[in-house]
Amino acid sequence: MSAAGLIKTVFFTLITVGFFFIIWVYNPFAHKEVYELPEEAARIVGDPKAALEGRELFKQSCSSCHSVRYDGVYLMSVEAKPEWQKILKTMGKPILETQDGKVKIKGYYLPRDVYEAVALQDLENLKASFGKVPPDLSTIYLARGPGYLYQFIMDPQKVLPGTSMPKLFFPEYDKEAPQKVAKIVAYLRSVSEPSPSEKAKRLVMGVATVGYFILMGFILWFYRKRVLEKMGIS
Amino acid sequence: MLRRIAAWIDERAKVGDLYREQMIEYKVPKNLTFPYVFGVLALITFALQIVSGIILIMYYKPVIAHAFDSTNYTIMREIDFGWLFRHIHAAGANFFLAIVYLHMFTGIYYNAYKKPRELVWIVGWVIYFTLLVTALTGYLLPWGQLSYWGTVVTTEIPASLADAPVLKGIFGAIGETISIWMKGGYKLEDLALGRFFGLHVVFLPLILLGLVAIHLFLVRAAGISNPEGYEIDKKNEPEKLVPFHPYVTLKEGAIAMWYLALFFFFVFFYMSHFLPADNFEPADPLKTPPHIAPEWYLLGFYEVFRSIPSKFWGFVAFNLILLLLLLLPFLDFSPLRSARRRPLFFVMFLVFVISSMALTILGTMSPTPTNAKLGMFFTALVFLFFLSLPVISFVEWGWYKARGGQA
Repeated sequence: MSAAGLIKTVFFTLITVGFFFIIWVYNPFAHKEVYELPEEAARIVGDPKAALEGRELFKQSCSSCHSVRYDGVYLMSVEAKPEWQKILKTMGKPILETQDGKVKIKGYYLPRDVYEAVALQDLENLKASFGKVPPDLSTIYLARGPGYLYQFIMDPQKVLPGTSMPKLFFPEYDKEAPQKVAKIVAYLRSVSEPSPSEKAKRLVMGVATVGYFILMGFILWFYRKRVLEKMGIS
Repeated sequence: MLRRIAAWIDERAKVGDLYREQMIEYKVPKNLTFPYVFGVLALITFALQIVSGIILIMYYKPVIAHAFDSTNYTIMREIDFGWLFRHIHAAGANFFLAIVYLHMFTGIYYNAYKKPRELVWIVGWVIYFTLLVTALTGYLLPWGQLSYWGTVVTTEIPASLADAPVLKGIFGAIGETISIWMKGGYKLEDLALGRFFGLHVVFLPLILLGLVAIHLFLVRAAGISNPEGYEIDKKNEPEKLVPFHPYVTLKEGAIAMWYLALFFFFVFFYMSHFLPADNFEPADPLKTPPHIAPEWYLLGFYEVFRSIPSKFWGFVAFNLILLLLLLLPFLDFSPLRSARRRPLFFVMFLVFVISSMALTILGTMSPTPTNAKLGMFFTALVFLFFLSLPVISFVEWGWYKARGGQA
């Protein structure tokens, strides 16, 4: 290849790779807000045991307004309805969980329209007091990330001025407040993200797949060289 | 036994003859460069999209009460490997468009749209356009905030015709009709979701399949282009030709494997761009997210539309770019081919590539007055590229004749 050809090749490769890096991986030009997650909280958020405690905390502190349908957690007032268990078992799908090698029913997943019909009055009441229906939090971790959630639950008005979400945890009175909030975030994370064992499986699958294709590429490349030598084409 | 069955079938179906004719006796230029692989890569990605798409249709529900949950609960959590197929489909859509863009720029660089390959280019353009519509319709299906508001913005773009300097009434009515026709009403609801779903899973893929088949047939009929920009004489210079199999198949096969390795790296380890965070919030017609922008493959056009102060002229400008792209073979009538032999064209090609990239990146930024000015500047450069083609061709005809009709 001539020098000019080499320069052209390098140039076009660089701008193409650079362009896709900016668009797909890291865009320094786009505006993005960063919400800080303290180190201690980050440790709790990553801990699967904290997620279990967080589930209980969520049921106590948050489930009077928010549901987590993907995890079978519904509004307190709805769960108190006498016909609720029957509705879950007839209209819902069991959410299974493996504990010590045994499959257990963790809760029931209810389709959105069924849930909203059953909970109609409760949701209307919430709307009357807050101005809007507090959202279901099944996928909120994926949408907002741990930093935002932690900061937002600690002090909603600071992160989103004018929000109708009240402040529920006060570090001034309760020393445990930051840990509790981190545990709730850990719970929301456990709902949205695959479990650690599943993640490990996906990692192995990913490495095996990528490795397989790289290897196959080389095998084809060297096989081609041999075939071309036999045929007398260089 | 197996061999006898194969021979029995071959005797009747003549598969062997077909293989020999189409793979071994089919000769291609030896000097094909790396960018010629993008066509095959696009075909592979298309196959991946169809396979992963078929699996996703089995569990997806095109009703607004269930669309979001069927994607994020049923597919992502309930079904074994549902996540994998959604990741493949989402990353595949982005890779498909990326490869198609690279394929198009390669075609422009080597002037692969010139006689006798004008139809290859035109059919390719129709594939590109259909692909954009497929991407747009598929984008609505997860029914997240981005899907919803992205589609609202897109379906409202034709309504900017109402901003016309003359005949406001007529243009306005046309724009609104198109807009309502796309949405199936004034609001995006079940009706829109249903028709987007139908288009995305049956109609558009079928059209794409047909168009890809025609595209491939035309490539074979006209012969593959050459980076050096001249047609190889099959009788007088056979040393410049090689059999398609195994020379090209194995080379492109190896590159395709590495391409798949890169693709699956993204599928398994880096999905945050292809499944953007904002789209994990269910669509809420009462809450507009702060930053709405179309996906990256439309951002260039979006930036053209956005940076021009008049909505009407913005609309006209980006449609004109699409149209000029279609008319490329006729704008560039020079007897010379391939940017390798055309210095003037090479410079304008650089201008075109860099402005397209700049427009796309500007589209990701917030719409400040400076960015709008930059957007207009690069839009002007894109038009300059298209308008310079006839001038360059004219000059090159002069050179061609001065050299006594030799390229």
